[in-house]
Amino acid sequence: MIPSDHFVRFYNEVFKFLDKQGDGALEKYYLEISRHQELHCLELFKTKGLQGMYDYWEHIRIEENCDLTLDLQPDSLTLTMNKCPSLTKAMDNDAGLCLKYCDHCPGWIIPLLKKAGYDCQYDIIDRQLPRCQMKITRQP
Amino acid sequence: MRYRETGELHLDFHGATNTTINYIAKNFGEEALHEIFSAVGQKVYKSIHEKLKQGDASELIEHWQYFFSREKGVFQIKETPEAIILEVSECPAVRQLLKLGLTPSPLFCTQTILVNEALCADTPFESKTEITGCGKCRQTITKRGVK
Repeated sequence: MIPSDHFVRFYNEVFKFLDKQGDGALEKYYLEISRHQELHCLELFKTKGLQGMYDYWEHIRIEENCDLTLDLQPDSLTLTMNKCPSLTKAMDNDAGLCLKYCDHCPGWIIPLLKKAGYDCQYDIIDRQLPRCQMKITRQP
Repeated sequence: MRYRETGELHLDFHGATNTTINYIAKNFGEEALHEIFSAVGQKVYKSIHEKLKQGDASELIEHWQYFFSREKGVFQIKETPEAIILEVSECPAVRQLLKLGLTPSPLFCTQTILVNEALCADTPFESKTEITGCGKCRQTITKRGVK
């Protein structure tokens, strides 16, 4: 068993492998993860909207030990990751960081939000700093 | 021990591992799983692998003890002069898949088999992983040449 604590380091090796394959292999995998995440999120996001998204990421904030600020407004939800535990672990790693590591988050989140009827502006900021921000709004 | 996480656990990552194993095997073949899990065993767990090369299994035992306890697995580690045996009666990863309503991939346990093989490659040890039931296995590390 790869411990759940070490999943992101396994994930990091998967990204390296897929990136080497070329032909959009990495992006196709993000879509597979997005489909998997529908199990946890899609119904919640469709039925409870921004509040459901707030609830989901508040749960993630606790379980994944994130330094994350959530700002829920009537027409938007802004998530500000002050210290991402996932990238922090991928960097604290004898195998070294896949420099495309951060891309998986918008890669699965944006397609899922679109299916739920929402847009997302995602700012990775810097692929070697564990900070990012996204703002979610309802599609016009 | 090189990695010693504390705090909350996000056990749903086991579901993402299951999805990923199926996806990689379907699209790139089982050989791709060898490549990825070898990297996990020898690069991510470089510290355990390097100690095994020196004939020292202490970090592997500590790793098993720490993470199976942290995820509340049901397990026992036996050390004999000939072997180290991890007997898993309830795997926390498989337990979480079932809790999520996911079907464990037929290849789910290759993560254990291949990481153990990679950890032991080019060391005085060899590994044997026997799947003894759903969420049950026996992982044996022996000195090469010992029957």
